[in-house]
Parts: sequence; C-alpha cells; structure tokens
Amino acid sequence: MRWLAGAAVVALVGLLALGTWGLFPRPPVPSWEEATAAFGARNAVAAIVLGARLWDTLLEVLVYAMALVGVRMVLRPLSRVQPVPPVSETPLLTRAADILLGPIVVFAIYIASSGHLGPGGGFPAGAILGSGLLLLALAKGAERLAQELHEPSLERVEYGAIAALLALGGLILVLSWRGSWLLVGANVLIGLEVAIGAWVVLHHFASSRGEV
Amino acid sequence: MATVLLCALTLALAVFALTRRRLLWGVIGVGAHSLALAGVYLFLAAPDVALTEAAVGFALVTFIYLLALRRTGRLVVAATEVYPLLYQEGDAVAGLEWEILERFGRWLHRDIEVLWVARADIPRLLAAGEADLAAGGFLPREGERVLLSRPLVPTRMIAVRTGPGPCGAVAGDRGQDHLPPGGPTYEDPEELASALARGELGGAVVDLLRLREWQLRDRVGEAETAAVEEDLAFRFAVAPGEEEVHQALEGFLGELEASGDLARVRERYLG
Repeated sequence: MRWLAGAAVVALVGLLALGTWGLFPRPPVPSWEEATAAFGARNAVAAIVLGARLWDTLLEVLVYAMALVGVRMVLRPLSRVQPVPPVSETPLLTRAADILLGPIVVFAIYIASSGHLGPGGGFPAGAILGSGLLLLALAKGAERLAQELHEPSLERVEYGAIAALLALGGLILVLSWRGSWLLVGANVLIGLEVAIGAWVVLHHFASSRGEV
Repeated sequence: MATVLLCALTLALAVFALTRRRLLWGVIGVGAHSLALAGVYLFLAAPDVALTEAAVGFALVTFIYLLALRRTGRLVVAATEVYPLLYQEGDAVAGLEWEILERFGRWLHRDIEVLWVARADIPRLLAAGEADLAAGGFLPREGERVLLSRPLVPTRMIAVRTGPGPCGAVAGDRGQDHLPPGGPTYEDPEELASALARGELGGAVVDLLRLREWQLRDRVGEAETAAVEEDLAFRFAVAPGEEEVHQALEGFLGELEASGDLARVRERYLG
C-alpha cells in the first residue's frame, strides 16, 4: 500500500513536471492587448469585467439588487421618523454642496463612459454619484431630498437599469456582439444602479426607527 | 519608496482613528486612512482599485458616518442663558452646568451642542426630538413631559415688588404659575427686566439666581422681595423617550456627587 501511494505521488509530480516543461500541447494564448481590443476596450480590467468574466459581473449586480430589495422589505414595517424641520447648518456645507455637485456628477459620468479606455468603470462611477447624493442629503436633509428625487420613479429607473443590463449581457454573451458602445452602456447602467442603491440604503437607514 | 511611505501613513492614520476619543476625529481619521490606502493601490499600479477605494472609502463611508454622527454623535442641549449656571463668554460657553455637561459628554464620547432658546420652547424641542437635554437653570413645571435629573443647585422662587402694577414673569418659566391667569409674560428675561425698570410692571416672579444676576447688574433698584415657593432645585431635563441618556446622566451625576466634585464645582461658582 505504501509503495503504491509513493508511486502515485511520484507519477503526479512527474506529470506536473512534464507539464511545466511544456511537453503537453497547449492552445496559443493571445496577447492581452489583442484580447482586450477584441472586446472593444483598451483597459484590460474593463475587458475582463465586462467581457471575459461578464457572468460574474451580471450576477454581482443581481446580488446588489437583491440586497436593495432586502433592505426595502426588512425596513418597511418599521416606523418612519417624523420629518424634523431642517436644522440650520453652517453655510459652509450648503455652499460646498452647491459648488461641488456639478463637478461630481460630471466626473461620475466621465468615469462611467470612459471606463473601457482607462481606469474607472461603473462601480466607482456609481459610488462617486452616490457620494454626491449623500453630500446633498447632508446639506438639505435626507427627507427633503427624498421628496425631490421621487422614490417610486427612482425605483422604476433602478429595475429598468437592471433589465437593460441583463439584455446587454445577453447580446455580449449569447450573440457574441462586440464593441465599445456595449461596454459604455454597461458601465453607465451599472453606475446608475450603484448610485441609486447607495441612496436607497442611506435613506432607509436614515429614516427608519425601531427594532428589526 | 512612495509605497512604503504610504503604507506607513496608512498604519499611522489607522492608529490615529482608533485612539481618538472624539467620534468626529475618528471618522476623519478613517476617511484619511482610506485615501492613503487608495494612494498605495495607485503606486502598486492598480488605478481602478484606487479609484473605487477613494470613492467608497473616502467619500461614501465618511458621509454615511457623518450622517449617523449628526443624529447620534452629539447631545443637543436646549438652554436658556443664566449666569453663572450656563452663559456665553465671547464665543465660548461657560458656567457650572457647562462644566458638568462637558464632562458628561466626554464620559459618553459625545459632543455637546448648546442651542440657545427661549424657556417656553424647551418642552416642544424636547418632545420633537430636536434636543436631548434641557439646561440653563431648568425648573420643571406642571404638565411638562420630561425626565428630570437629580437636583443640582437648590433655589427658590422670589416675588420682586418694585411698585404698583401687575406682576410679570418669563414665558414658560415656573414663575408663570404664580401669576394670575393672563398675567404679562416675556419670552426673554432681559425684556422682563427692562419692563420692570421702565415701570410698566410692578413686580416679577423669578428664581433666586435670576434675581441675583439682576441685582449684580443693577437692573432692579429698590425692591421688596418675598419667597413664594421654597425647596426648589435647578435640574437637567432629558427628552421623554431618551431613557438611556437619562440613566447615564443619573449615574454620572451620582458619581460626581459621591466624589464630592459636584459640591466643589458648586462652591466655586456660587460660593
């Protein structure tokens, strides 16, 4: 028995050694620049996230959406706090929000739509847009911002973004469509989803009171 | 080299954030730590990760902590100004009650913010949750739904008589209970003192400290004084529904009393 195990180990090590010395035939691996360009991107990370590993990304977005649904459903039975009149803040915050909101939104759109060319992509873009919304919430009060944003239509935009993203994923995965515009679209939709999600979670956590 | 320096900075900022006693500094430390970490990623040739780390760690998480801090990280004290219990000295707040509140805030790891309001607004602010505590020579009145602390400084209500005419009081103050229904009230104690000085009123019902303040500043001249209510005490009031804060305050004041610090502070301010 011991001899048998020893022989098996030697055989396995031998096979591994043969493999590393290149004695087994291997399919040629294209250079990463070619593979990236085939997906219509110049940033290898974008080509992996939205091309070679698109299944991962789609399911990640679905997990994110499920987390949002969970937050909504679990926190719904809790009581909502009475909207307290906005506390007068120092003008520093409201002024900063006025000045910074525009650049933040533009930067988020830029990060989303140029994610296939350089560093960036949908997730950071959504986080940046979400932080812009949080800045507004700090300056104006979360309740007032919630009224101005109109939650039901926000929800529709969110589910619409997921549906559109799944359709786009189908085009890339099933029909093997390739092109930069697909990546831009996917990044913008992911950014929208992440930003709305950040706002929804914040708003529910900020305004619900009670025991879960 | 830059990576090693940024790694050291990350560690230093983490230690900074962990050792701060004030929550706001801790949050700022965590945010700066995220930014330094983003720098590490950048120098390790991962700009995508650096961007996400900066957006989520520095901006999003810091904002969420700030929003949470705004609700829980500070104790809002609705107060009226009474020398020497709680008063403004330039931009700073000072007084006997302020010393206690400041130590209580440090003990609870929360920042104290004083909201200067009229006495009549205090019950509404406490009930609406806009303030957690009331201070500044707070004397409870009938029908006010607040949780009271143990007595801080004994006092009594005094009727001041300067001449013929109706008696006045501060609106919402305990002195109002001693006026006939519809008696003249003033939002601001200063207005009451001016009305008294102008002779519009023949007298006022105020607490001992307010009267002492007026006498010190020569706001009332010749006046007869008579105690109308004995055995009162200034206390802190806690908003209804804030039982935890109330228990913590009671525990803290109990310790202060047992160690003799309360008596020492009282001695220092009131003699």
